[in-house]
Parts: sequence; C-alpha cells; structure tokens
Amino acid sequence: MDEEEGNEYRWESGYEKTWEAIKEDDDGLIDSAVADIIQKSKRKRQEERMQNARLGMMRHLILVLDGSDSMLDQDLKPTRHLCTLKIIEGFIEEYIDQNPISQLGIIVTRDKRATMISELGGNAKKHIAALKEHFGNQSSLSGEPSLMNSLNLAINSLHMLPAHTSREVVFIMASLTTCDPGGIHFTIQNAVETQLCCSVIALSAEVYVFKKLCQMTGGKFNIILDDKHFRDIVYQFVEPLTVSQQKEASLVKMGFPHHLNIDEKEAGSTLCACHLDSQKPPATIGYFCPQCHSKYCELPVECSVCELVLVSALHFAKSYRHLFPIPPFKQLNVQETSASCFACAKLLKSQDKYIYECQRCKNLYCLDCDVFIHDSMHLCPGCVSDQNLLTTQIDSPPNPS
Amino acid sequence: MAIMEQQSKLEVEDVSLLVVVIDLSTEQPFLQDDKLSLTHYLNAIITFINSHLMLKACNRVAVIGSDYCRNKYLYPDEKNKLNIRQTDSQYEMFTLVEQTIRNNVKSFFNDDSSKDDEDEPSKLPSLISGAAALGLCFINRIEATFMSKDNLNSRILIITGSLDFSHQYMSLMNVFFAAQRQNIAIDVCSLEAELKLLQQGTDITNGHFLLVPSANLSGLVQYLLWVFLPEPPLRKHLIVPPPVKVDYRASCFCHKQLIELGYVCSVCLSVFCKFTPICMTCHAVFKSHILLPKKIKKRKVNSGSPMSVSGSMRSK
Repeated sequence: MDEEEGNEYRWESGYEKTWEAIKEDDDGLIDSAVADIIQKSKRKRQEERMQNARLGMMRHLILVLDGSDSMLDQDLKPTRHLCTLKIIEGFIEEYIDQNPISQLGIIVTRDKRATMISELGGNAKKHIAALKEHFGNQSSLSGEPSLMNSLNLAINSLHMLPAHTSREVVFIMASLTTCDPGGIHFTIQNAVETQLCCSVIALSAEVYVFKKLCQMTGGKFNIILDDKHFRDIVYQFVEPLTVSQQKEASLVKMGFPHHLNIDEKEAGSTLCACHLDSQKPPATIGYFCPQCHSKYCELPVECSVCELVLVSALHFAKSYRHLFPIPPFKQLNVQETSASCFACAKLLKSQDKYIYECQRCKNLYCLDCDVFIHDSMHLCPGCVSDQNLLTTQIDSPPNPS
Repeated sequence: MAIMEQQSKLEVEDVSLLVVVIDLSTEQPFLQDDKLSLTHYLNAIITFINSHLMLKACNRVAVIGSDYCRNKYLYPDEKNKLNIRQTDSQYEMFTLVEQTIRNNVKSFFNDDSSKDDEDEPSKLPSLISGAAALGLCFINRIEATFMSKDNLNSRILIITGSLDFSHQYMSLMNVFFAAQRQNIAIDVCSLEAELKLLQQGTDITNGHFLLVPSANLSGLVQYLLWVFLPEPPLRKHLIVPPPVKVDYRASCFCHKQLIELGYVCSVCLSVFCKFTPICMTCHAVFKSHILLPKKIKKRKVNSGSPMSVSGSMRSK
C-alpha cells in the first residue's frame, strides 16, 4: 500500500510479496489476513494524525477532474471515467457531511481548456447534479487536459477568499501530458503566492510537473494502485488538513436562524430565496435570516441578499470531532484472558488476535469496536463513562500554536 | 390496509434489536420524591422488554444501566450465564431476562468500588452519552453477524429522570451523528423534564421524545408500550405524539445565551455574541480591519493606556 517503503520499484516487488504477507487462517480462508493489512494501514494513518494541531476548519476545496480521452482507459473497471465518477460522488457527500461549514467547487479540464462546472458552494446535491451533467457522459471526454488553465481558474476563484480559510486544490489526472499555453512554472509560483495547497492523484504514473506542483505548494502527490486504493486516497481529503501557525485567525460573523413554521392562515406560504428560479412550490416552513429576513429552506447557506453565512449549531457540533480526535488505542497481545470487550460485552477469547486498550480510561476493546469507535463514532465509550475523564476532555481546547 | 402492505414488506425474518438505557441514578427526582419506587420503575421496564421479545421470537434486546460514575451492561451477561429451567410455565427467555436484569441491578448498587471515596453521592446527572455509545457498539456487533443489514431494525431507548445533560454536549452529539449514519433511531422517555439536548438527538435520528406527565408516572408501562413498542418503520401508520419542535440556535460561549447573530472563531469554532480581540477558548489573536480605525481614534483622545493594550495585542 505504501510506495515509499523500501527502495525497490513497485514492479520489482510485485504481487508475490503481498501474497507472502497473507496467511491462511485455521479455516483456510484469507479474509482475515486481507482485513489485517487494511487495518494496519488505517492505524498508521490514525497515529499520524496529530493531536492539538491547528486545523483549517473552514475549508475551500476545488476538485479538478481530468476530462481528457485518457480517462477512457480500462485499467480501472469498467473505465477510469466511471470509476472516478462513482468515487467522486461518494466523496462529495462525505466531504459536505463531515465539513458542514466548508465549501467545494469542481473544475473539469478537457480539450486544452478548463471549465468550472460547479461554483464553490456547500450543497452536495447541486454538485452531484452538475457532475453528472458535465462529466457523466463518456462522449464528452476528449483531447488533452491543461494543468495551467485549470490552476489559473482555481487561483482566480480562491484568491479573493478571506485569509483564515484553507485553500485546497485536488487534481485527479489520468493523462501523462498537459497542454499549457505558457510557462507552467510561473503559474506554480503564482499558486504558491496565493497560498494554495495543491495535491495530485495520478491514475497512471508519476509526472514530473505534477510532483513539482505538489512539492512547491505543500500538497501530497499520490499514484493509485487499484480502485480500492484510489477510493482510500480520495477519502483522505475528507479530513481537514493542518495549517501553518502563521495563518490568520479571524472572527466570522454568522447567523443562527430559527426554524419557523408560520401559520398558513396567518401569513400564507412564501417562496424561499434559494429556489426563486425553480419550480419548488411555496411552503410555510423555513429558516429566516436574522439580518434581512429572507427565507431559506436548507442550512447551511450563504444569504443571497446580505451575504451572511447561515448555519445551525448542529453543523458546528459535527465539526468539533475534527478538533478533538480520540487517540489511537494501544494494541495488546494477550494470550489468555477472561475479560470482555467494554463496548460490546463480547467475551474476548484467545482467537481474537488483538485486544485494544484506551490509554486514558484503560478499558479493553475488541477489534471490531476499535474500528467502529475510530471510524464512525469518534468517541471512546470508556472515557465518557467516567465523570473525571469526561470533564477533562471538554476543558482542553485545541492549541492554536 | 396500509398496515397490511407494510407488514408484507417487513419480512417475517426481520429482527428488531432494542437497546434500553436505564438511568439508575438514585438522585433522580422521582425516586427522591417517592412518586415512583425503584421496584415499580424496574417492573415497568421489564414488562416492556418482555413485550418486545414477545412480538417476534427472534427479537433481541440489550439493557445498559447508567449512573453518574459508570455504565454497565445489565443484559446480556455472558460471564455469569444463568441456567434457567421452566418453572411456572413462563417462557424461559422472559425468566432469563428478568433474573439477569434483577441480579445485575442488585450488583450495580452493591458494587461501590468505582465510586468516589467521598461518602455523599454526587448530584451529577448520569453518563447517558457513554451508555448510548455502548449501545451503538453492541448494535454494531450484532449487525456484523447479519448477512444483510436490511433484516435488522435497531433502535436505542433511553429512559431517564435526570435533569441536565449539557456537560455531555459533545459526546452526546457524536453519539447522535453516529446513530444517524447507521440509521439507528434514538428514542427518549423522560420522566422529569423537557430535555432540550436529547430532543435534538431524537430529531436528528428520527426517534421519539416523550415526557411522561409527573402525575401519571405510575402508568409508565402504558406509556412505554404505547409509544415505544412499535418499531420505527411501523410508526408512521400509528397516531403517536407529534414530534417536538427543536431549536437549533447556538448558545454563545461567553454568556451561555441563545443567539441569532454571532461571531465564530475560525480556529476552534467557538461562538461569541460580541466581537472579542482574542479567542477565549484557543487564545488565537484575531486580525480585524474594522476595529483598527477605532483604536487610532482612541489613541488621539488619550495617549495613555489604550495604546499599550493595542500594542501588546498586535505583538502577540
């Protein structure tokens, strides 16, 4: 899974080694061994995640998708294009769900040109609809991509944003070439000056200029191995990145609107400001901007009248988990034990190879619960079952430096 | 007719998994005021659990007890499995569940080892968030044994008489979002007060919130059977109390008041009701282009202390 390991080339180590690592279990099945490998890489990433690091919580991320004909290759099944489409769709939903006060935009580059198919925004449905319309059709894939044009477009839409937000660009490139109208190094320099963080996911092989871009702007350069690895890499961008300490902090004015249900007899139904041009029927229910009283049917949204960002307390609650990640559990190698998993009450038997221990509350967990706690719940049940640990957890705020 | 259609969709093999979180804190007002005795309280819950098991032979249940210092599984108890034989022609499962719960509640109250050394019991509310987190892990474990998740309806029911859970805000929110992602409904049966935080949870996860009127506490079992016995897919065909209206306004960190317009720190997302130059939570220094002209004006009026204040702020 990890390319940097060892000095051998990937094709030299090949698949033989991966098979050597896989051992059959007692029933002659290899499922457990494969799960083990995936588990190890996950744990590694967890440990890398620093605690008390300053994160870019209000994110602006632009996805640049390669729309050239090299997307039609069939090395990913069924084609690179369909595989990418599927993964990106999932990613957009996950990104918006996990970073509710962040925004996303999509650029597609084809025929030496770059077009913004979806402007920066926080509405997953809108992005996916735009993606399907402009990128969903195989026949639209043609020509060569242009790194410079798409980078310029990304710089243009990101450079005006306030300084406290993070500016990220993620390229998904299938082509080994790029067609640029000028010196690409100037554009890269430009990107560095606008404090963009560019990452590239290459679907075929390493390209010097892509790698250079990542190095200069502090992003990550990734080459995929297969579709699962591709998905894994794309989903890494759901977690917010750490930002430099020099990054400005600022107080952002936001509105927390009421959810109002006006009595139909009293005021009648009204249109919401976000669906003025569409066929959505008027409704009595809506959120009202506390500043200008325009009505919206969904949150979060930027008020189109007074440009106030409208959010609900829930969106913050969702983002807090990035600020307080739970530390990885320590792996214990216990042969015989009579204990049971604290979280799911399963008896820990000797066939459970690994038992995990939370370093704070010293409770034991089975493998399944360890995965569930770190991947889905983001909460250690043991630590919140202890009044002392519960209060210390809240009192330790993230460190800005 | 509609119910018939729905039932044909709900396969016979569909299993309903219910996790009941029982608040066993002795500080609950209804226990203190003798409105409802602990025996009565437990009897009502056990009757409810038995009714749930009676609906379908394959229905599953887990019970978790919670107070201010610990959370413990009351059922299932895999370490000390009871050997139950049929006695007065009662279904063995009922006897097993009842006996296990009663034994474990006894040991829950007797086992004071984990409590603080101080003699007087703490007034803090129970650790419901931890108990609900245990419930989610249990559901996750059972789900793993099912081939398809569609065959399993899981939900969590929290029965509590505690008053305020605001100090568990973050952990409760994490639990609610995890439940929402797993499509698990969280129901809350409150015996004392309108719990705003738990109301949000039921709203997020499509569960029910019910406040039992304090005059009718002795009829608890009826409320439980009436509102919480039907599984979530069946509830839309029944007439149940309307969903509560939930207020999602944020409260500011400085005065703990609900606000409509606020300022948010870009580093730690703390909410303030007024502009402050330094974040109180993470000590980040904010740059403000609006504030600067004001400072200059002040400097002209009196050249003393304000200058040093603004100077020290910028140098940080």
